[in-house]
Amino acid sequence: MTIYCLYIFDRHCNCAYYHDWHRTKRPRRANEGGGLLQGVSHALAPLPASAPASAPGTPITSPRNTLGAGAGVLVAFGGAGQPQQEPQSAPPLLQTQAGGMPPSAPAGGTGLPFDEEAKLVYGVILSLRNMIKRLSGRDETFVCYRTSAYKLHLFETVSGYRFVMLSDPNAESLRFVMRSIYTGPFLEYVVRNPLASMDSREQGVDNEYFRASVDRLVRGLSVFL
Amino acid sequence: MAIFGLWVINKAGGLVYQRDFAEGLAQLSSNEYLVLAGTLHGIHAITSRLSPIGASSGAHVIEGETFKMTILLTATGTKFVLLTSIAETSAGAVLQRVYEAYADAVMKNPFHTPEMPIRSEGFDARIVALIGTGHT
Repeated sequence: MTIYCLYIFDRHCNCAYYHDWHRTKRPRRANEGGGLLQGVSHALAPLPASAPASAPGTPITSPRNTLGAGAGVLVAFGGAGQPQQEPQSAPPLLQTQAGGMPPSAPAGGTGLPFDEEAKLVYGVILSLRNMIKRLSGRDETFVCYRTSAYKLHLFETVSGYRFVMLSDPNAESLRFVMRSIYTGPFLEYVVRNPLASMDSREQGVDNEYFRASVDRLVRGLSVFL
Repeated sequence: MAIFGLWVINKAGGLVYQRDFAEGLAQLSSNEYLVLAGTLHGIHAITSRLSPIGASSGAHVIEGETFKMTILLTATGTKFVLLTSIAETSAGAVLQRVYEAYADAVMKNPFHTPEMPIRSEGFDARIVALIGTGHT
């Protein structure tokens, strides 16, 4: 029983946050100018056009270097996909792994660029919501769907934020997990954060405290491995 | 525990058979069913692309709050969709038998054009015998 990843979409249909744990098929970096908001996920932001795209350890493109990132908020990528190592030095809150992506992931990738993937996810949940509403005739929302390889759960808040979580197909409903992410880390580090711009159209809601507390919450679940 | 409806969608995404059983879902016009079937066909294709771990089938079960849709995709691309209440456990088995009835009464019918809407009394009779009124 495992949880693969989490997307948070705001009411403007943009992906505001992304966090993954066990994906074996990593998403590619977003295309430059592809509409991905800054501050969603440092590892998936588009590389600046001038930077060499080859070696992941070069000073400009290394995830340790936050000077090049356009986000105004310090973001830290916790090296998802590998066993989490406890942070050894205090700042930043999470230790960034050297060379970001695991070596097995091809640089070009067989997957979609992240911004396209986020749009696809949003499109799927929007279409399914409309379909279920039309079919039932009542104001009914789509809850989850299951394929042979994963299960996708949706939790929607009254303010229009949509939490989408992908888990393994045998998982029980994760609505409660997403609800606790909403009432815990989200309210604490995003809503109540005076520096986080929530309803903007250019900025995501990634910040190191939010990321760390979401990570802690999800890894502490009994359903997580 | 109830079965609300059955759809059969051809491999191009067009609805070829639709039948309602128990009450519980909205009554829609045949045009709206056609649109929804096409939407479902597209969504099914996209769900296989969104997998976080590589290859995946399309969606098998899509759940709302009071009903769920179980989808059987055959090797030829035909989709059988059963709309049931959440508690219904036999949806997979029912769809298998619907597929068998389809193979017998529709595919072996020399007067039926493949991928066209199904107008077959034999198929209707077998479906009624299988599902009845939809209440279990």
